[in-house]
Amino acid sequence: MTLTAEVTTPPAAPAPAPGSARKRRKAAETRAGYAFLTPWLLGFFLLTAGPMLASLYLAFTNYNLFAPPEFTGLENFRLLFSDPSYLKAWQVTATYVLFGTPIKLIAALAVAMLLNTRRRGKGFYRSSFYMPSLVGASVSIAIVWKAMFIDDGIVDQIQQLFGAPAGGWVGDPNRTMPMLVLLTVWQFGAPMVIFLAGLKQIPNELYEAASVDGAGPVRKFRNITLPMLSPVIFFNLLLETIHAFQIFASAFIISNGTGGPARSTLFYTLYLYQRGFVDFRMGYASAMAWVLVVVVGVITVIFFRSSKFWVHYSGEGK
Amino acid sequence: MKRPFWKITALAAVTALTLTACASGSGDDEDAAPSANPTDPVTINFTWWGNDDRAARYQQALDLFQEKYPYITVQTSFAAFPDYWTQRSTEAAGRKLPDVMQFDLSYLREFNQNGQLLDLAEYVDNGTIDLSGYDETLTEAGVLDDKTIGIPTSTNTFAMFQNPAVITATGAEFPDDADYTWEDYNEFIADASSSGTTTADGYQLFGAVDYTGTFWFFIQWLLQKGVTPFEDDGTFGFDEDDITEFLGLTADLRADKLVYPIDRGTSLLPKGGFTVNESATEMSWDNFLAAYTADSGTQDIQLAQIPSVEPGEKHLFFKPSMLLSAGANTEHPEAAATLINFLLTDPEVGTIFGTSKGVPADEEQRAAVATEEGSVDARVIAYEEEVAEQVTESTPIPVKGFGTIEAKWKTLGEELAYGTITEEDFASQWFAEAELATS
Repeated sequence: MTLTAEVTTPPAAPAPAPGSARKRRKAAETRAGYAFLTPWLLGFFLLTAGPMLASLYLAFTNYNLFAPPEFTGLENFRLLFSDPSYLKAWQVTATYVLFGTPIKLIAALAVAMLLNTRRRGKGFYRSSFYMPSLVGASVSIAIVWKAMFIDDGIVDQIQQLFGAPAGGWVGDPNRTMPMLVLLTVWQFGAPMVIFLAGLKQIPNELYEAASVDGAGPVRKFRNITLPMLSPVIFFNLLLETIHAFQIFASAFIISNGTGGPARSTLFYTLYLYQRGFVDFRMGYASAMAWVLVVVVGVITVIFFRSSKFWVHYSGEGK
Repeated sequence: MKRPFWKITALAAVTALTLTACASGSGDDEDAAPSANPTDPVTINFTWWGNDDRAARYQQALDLFQEKYPYITVQTSFAAFPDYWTQRSTEAAGRKLPDVMQFDLSYLREFNQNGQLLDLAEYVDNGTIDLSGYDETLTEAGVLDDKTIGIPTSTNTFAMFQNPAVITATGAEFPDDADYTWEDYNEFIADASSSGTTTADGYQLFGAVDYTGTFWFFIQWLLQKGVTPFEDDGTFGFDEDDITEFLGLTADLRADKLVYPIDRGTSLLPKGGFTVNESATEMSWDNFLAAYTADSGTQDIQLAQIPSVEPGEKHLFFKPSMLLSAGANTEHPEAAATLINFLLTDPEVGTIFGTSKGVPADEEQRAAVATEEGSVDARVIAYEEEVAEQVTESTPIPVKGFGTIEAKWKTLGEELAYGTITEEDFASQWFAEAELATS
């Protein structure tokens, strides 16, 4: 009907007609927009929001997957903080976040600055540095990593060449953490690309002006690069920190899902998985998940609050 | 012209989505209607834990099954032991357990809650499952709350595996295996480990791993002391002192680093010191002989008896293993029972599996195992016959949460080996966990 109506409308229509047509078109576009969003919205409600609410409820129950959940109030949370393995899991995860994230970001920034210069074959170098991040999250890399650090693996053999004590890193509780930190540092590609984009945004005139004023490279880095890059640093820091809290796959592979040796790789999410799917204690696991959500949330808020003091956006006049 | 196009596209997208949703929702109903005729074609699922070797054997057995029962199609899947239970538990939550599955005593109680497993008694009574070749005490292992929820395929018992080449290389002498005690065994371990002999690659040879890290050995040791590990009401028959005493058996060996080094062992996983020919002995279930022979590449691995508290009083038990169960949610219980019966009692299946799942429980299957003189199967059967009179205990019935407390024992054992906890910490932490898991 509308189609015919439109066709029969004389070309020289009165003024209001194009306006209402535009309005109608806009409404139609909105509807189409929502229609296209539907798959995502369905996915969000059915696969994200729904399960999240369910797990929030389960956190207050005793649920073993076989019998219906039984409401126990705050019991799970009380158990959490009297569980030595739980506290160990926090310790392991915190160590990883505290060491892994800054080292990874420093590596990313350093390489980004190297690649920001005009050199031959920079496209090749950029791709090759980014490569580990592309494949890095996968299970296969964790397996390769394990093979490298195992007793008589390549790292062990190199150590032996230098006369260092052999034995591999995988079986030594004191060396599994450095091993996993190295693994995450090696996957610095993603923050590196973001840093690179940030570095390109810094106007060259600033450096030129600084050179005229006699500033050296260190000075330039401290007074131009860092402040100009601070929004990007903030973004990377936040993202990588949240990411680090969620480490799972590599720890799972390297310890065969046990968190061993001697609980040295018992990361938070790995322990959560064990509680839920190995010990059949879904309520407990859900409680763990929500404590993690709250802690990461609090850390994010702290980051945002602190950003006022060290993140400078251009045009802010600060 | 643009508007209708958008509308149509959007409508099409939504319709497509709805249709997909409907399709996936009704997909399971295809073969839902129970058929009046028992030989109407049905498809059932069957799943087990194990490795490629077992997969190949099952495939062979199921090909035979297909020949005999062409109207039953069996879809199979398998996983490693820990992953296997993760998958089953999620299925249990959704009441979507496979029609037939391999089961373990450790998990029977959990899955029996809320009626997840089918009571097979009806099919035993009507003859679909023929247990005439079974020892009665064995089938009882799968009966909980008066329901037959699992039937064991085979039996295992503990054995001491020896690698003669390594023993000879260390120069240590293994004690007389009929009468030796845990102390004698410890002495042997100390002798073998302190000989200083190394492999061609420069790795030191050891007597054994620290056996206290395995929960089942603790149970075996308790039985030898006359303690019933688990009471009928699900409580424990032992306390923290028993645990510290057991862990104390190898305390000196641990302190003097005379047991197989834990870091090298961790690094070798899933193999171990014994399978890489660096450790002289290892205690385990007797059906491991096939796997040990294959993994170590050593043909003459010997079976001996395990040590005891009082000389000669072994108090062994047969552990019913590889139970077969059916999900209570199965839509084809008859076909499931038919498959279970076939796998449990068909003589040709006995020939295919040999002793790789333990010594077959069914008489005819046992007779059908190819017992070529000196073969792996022949030696396992000979061993079980030899120790038959030492088998004086009935199988300890695992409490609810057994899988969890067994795993916890292993983790704590590892920490003890690394020296990060004491024997007392071990005992108290294990009990704290066990009380939660079994409550």
